[in-house]
Amino acid sequence: MFQSTFHGISKIANSISKLANVIGTLVVLGLVIIINYDVFARGLFNSPFRGAVEVVQFSMVLIVFLQLPDVVRVGRLTRSDGMLLLLEHKVPKVARVIHFFINLLSAAVMSLIVLAMFPEFIEMWESKDYFGIPGVFTAPWWPIKLIILGSAALCTVLFILKILIPKAGGSK
Amino acid sequence: CITTAPAFATDTIKAVVIDGYPSRALWVKEFTNFFIPAVDARLAKTGNYKMDWQESYGGSIVKPKGVLEGVKLGLGDIGIVTTIFHSSKLPSQAIAAVTPFVSSDARAVSKAVDEIAKEFPAMQNEFKKQNQVYLATGVVLDTYQIFSKKEITSVKDLEGSKVAGAGMNLRYLEGIKDAAGVRGGLTNFYNMVQTGLVDHAMLWPEAAATFKMAEVAPFMLDVSLGAVNSKTVTVNADYWKKLPDEVKTALQTVAVDYRDHLAGLAMDRAAESIKAYEAAGGKVTKLSDEERKAWVDSIPDIATEWAENLNKRGEDGTKMLNAYLGKLKDAGHVGVRDWTAK
Amino acid sequence: MSPIEIGAISVVAIVLLIYIGVYIPIALAAVSFVSIWLMRDNFDLSVNLLKVAIGDSAMEYAFATIPLFTFMGLIVSKARLGSDIYEVMSTGFRRVKGGIGMATVGANAVFAAVTGSSIASASVFAKVSVPQMLKNGYNPRFAVGVVAGSSVLGMIIPPSAMLIIYSFVAEQSVGDMFLAGVVPGIMLAIAYIGAIWGMGKLFPKFVGGRPASDYERMPWKEIASKTLPTLSLITIVLGGIYTGWMTPVEAGAAGSLAGLVIAVLRRSMTLKGFWEVLIETGHITATILFLITAASIYSRMLGLAGLPNQLGEYMTNSDFALFQIMVFYVLLMLFLGTLLDTASIILIVVPLFLPLIEPMGLSLVWFGIVTVVGAEIGLLTPPLGISCFVIKASLNDDRITLKDVFLGALPFAAVMLVVLIILIAYPQLSLVLLN
Ligand code: NA
Ligand code: NA
Repeated sequence: MFQSTFHGISKIANSISKLANVIGTLVVLGLVIIINYDVFARGLFNSPFRGAVEVVQFSMVLIVFLQLPDVVRVGRLTRSDGMLLLLEHKVPKVARVIHFFINLLSAAVMSLIVLAMFPEFIEMWESKDYFGIPGVFTAPWWPIKLIILGSAALCTVLFILKILIPKAGGSK
Repeated sequence: CITTAPAFATDTIKAVVIDGYPSRALWVKEFTNFFIPAVDARLAKTGNYKMDWQESYGGSIVKPKGVLEGVKLGLGDIGIVTTIFHSSKLPSQAIAAVTPFVSSDARAVSKAVDEIAKEFPAMQNEFKKQNQVYLATGVVLDTYQIFSKKEITSVKDLEGSKVAGAGMNLRYLEGIKDAAGVRGGLTNFYNMVQTGLVDHAMLWPEAAATFKMAEVAPFMLDVSLGAVNSKTVTVNADYWKKLPDEVKTALQTVAVDYRDHLAGLAMDRAAESIKAYEAAGGKVTKLSDEERKAWVDSIPDIATEWAENLNKRGEDGTKMLNAYLGKLKDAGHVGVRDWTAK
Repeated sequence: MSPIEIGAISVVAIVLLIYIGVYIPIALAAVSFVSIWLMRDNFDLSVNLLKVAIGDSAMEYAFATIPLFTFMGLIVSKARLGSDIYEVMSTGFRRVKGGIGMATVGANAVFAAVTGSSIASASVFAKVSVPQMLKNGYNPRFAVGVVAGSSVLGMIIPPSAMLIIYSFVAEQSVGDMFLAGVVPGIMLAIAYIGAIWGMGKLFPKFVGGRPASDYERMPWKEIASKTLPTLSLITIVLGGIYTGWMTPVEAGAAGSLAGLVIAVLRRSMTLKGFWEVLIETGHITATILFLITAASIYSRMLGLAGLPNQLGEYMTNSDFALFQIMVFYVLLMLFLGTLLDTASIILIVVPLFLPLIEPMGLSLVWFGIVTVVGAEIGLLTPPLGISCFVIKASLNDDRITLKDVFLGALPFAAVMLVVLIILIAYPQLSLVLLN
């Protein structure tokens, strides 16, 4: 019974990760277009896009944190798993314990990021703080904090699901 | 953070000082060589307290833009905040940037800004919201000037050209016909001029000498756009609360000395830098009074904009602006344009 | 606990966690978090450090170079620029013993100037050059070894993701780091070619192969059509940066666009292939930047502990010679190289050693080149050697085992080490283009 609930949650979480990944992917394309636009506008028409720096910074946050859950989902976060693969082969029981520990630690770190970012998001939402130069180009902070918050929350869920459904989401 | 040793001995107080700029930057170096020894000397007189300084600069804890947040969150106890990065959180700090063509005397500007910070609540309130206590204002540049590839003598020469700048000074160009402000940073102004990406760059003489601008932009137009405050020394509010009064007083007193010391050094450096620029083949042309007048009149009324924005936030922006200009006037610095709020 | 003890214990803890298979960014973040919590007895401060580091790190303008150069590298691989250069090179080297190996090195050096990562180089050349060498009777170990060894050129010759990462940690200009990578990269390529020649003379069996008899010169027109696209890309990217016309970020974007145009003109890009490249770019960017973010939490933890200050003091009070420090540094990188990837090595060792190197008045640009070359030796060494993994995976040939790839790469790792020692001894080699 629990298993089917978990599988339901897992399905939803995986779909959100994939959707976020698609949006993040489009941002990569957007980045290429915007910077080229700035280079050409500046070189040919004497009219640089004055918000290029802020837009690039903003895009970087979008790319990293929209794609991170999908990276977690497919198990591509950087790691050195030679020992673990050996253990899986020789003493699968020990390997299972280590997998459990790794996913738990990962979920803990991600939830700490949620804990750190949540008040930050609320503060920026209420104060409507922005970055950039007033009169030149400005962008609000809160969407950035929200993306990081949502991304870390989704990663937390994905790692917990890896504990509950050991074979879920392509984890090794 | 405060450890209390046995009662008969001197109490040692740990202080983590942070800045994201490296230790070779003028204001950081003077914090090490002037501020810290001065505080130590004052405290040594009574012998009640001794500071244990941990100086963490150059990105070891925070980056230049991260000092404000670092002090707020307690990653540093004392910090040198570069205020121009935080127009949203620290709007009142733009006071000198929105009043160009008034004074190119770093000493006068830093003193006036510092007094405004202490007489009006606006600046302290902004820092209070960031969980920190205001200590002093630092002015490290005397004035922006125009550095060009070709010789220019009038504002007309700037029309239709590209000018590299950073931050608020891009707005000074808004009234010049077809002039495009291109955003750059200190480290790439040289390249921007060299390659013809821009025709001119706005920076201050000390930076021009450091980055060898004379090689690519041998003509400096002495516009004297004015000195700008960009540094503020602050203390984490929780840390401040726990400090004994004697230490608080020492920090506040030395902060004022540091302010004047730094501004004086900035002026000395500026004079040396102009000489160095000329020695490296640079030529300085002074912009005539009428031309300066024409330029300043073309700028939108950014001072009133600034004051009204503060008024809207419930601060006394108009009075601050007028008081600030009054202080400069008393010190003998009268603006080419009357920036007092309408 | 003194800061140096905290630093030492944290490194050991991180290495242990990584060894049992914990994701590297998770290990870095977790150890840093706990260290501060214990050190200051303040949970909130740990949370605050996370807050500052997470928000800051991805927002660096210069980091846009990472997705852009990754994208460009993937696009030009799809556009077959790598194999074209290889074909041109191999006509030139055909009649020499080990000639195809030398051609592979040469082609890699040129291809390196349009790709930011070694992974792209390794996968391209595993597919185009290994089969050629096998066909001509080369020893399979040598064949894969050459590809593995020369793939590291991709991250030494600019543009390079590793030089970008170092420039971020050490606060150096990306443009300067790129310039500094040119001479060492070319040097390494020449050293490889020399080593192949030497191996052909001394251990002909290890090299194998027979000089081609059916030699036919490639017509000039074909040479031009195979090299011009790459040369024009190099001109746009490196030319744009060095003339100052573009920032490295803008050069990356312009290069990506130009690469895309070339791929479309050559009809080597389907919509599906294009989307795959975009997704791959996003994954690589997220992976690298999350790692960088975690490493920045770690280096700030060391800063908060006061490690840089302590090390600086320690250095001025002791009489360690630069020689001893560099020997220790290289050994540490070789050790970490057995189990960490290049970016992780750079991100872990640089914050530890910068406070030692900076007060000695040494060039941090030179130190960066030494670091990147040293850390990249790990790409070739077991058990974790990314370049070797990629080659094994790209080949998909059961006759060549992972062990073969590692053994074949070993002589090239040794050549790298020799070049590294030369680079350490003669800083001018890295700095000559800067002055
Ligand atoms: Na490269
Ligand atoms: Na390795």
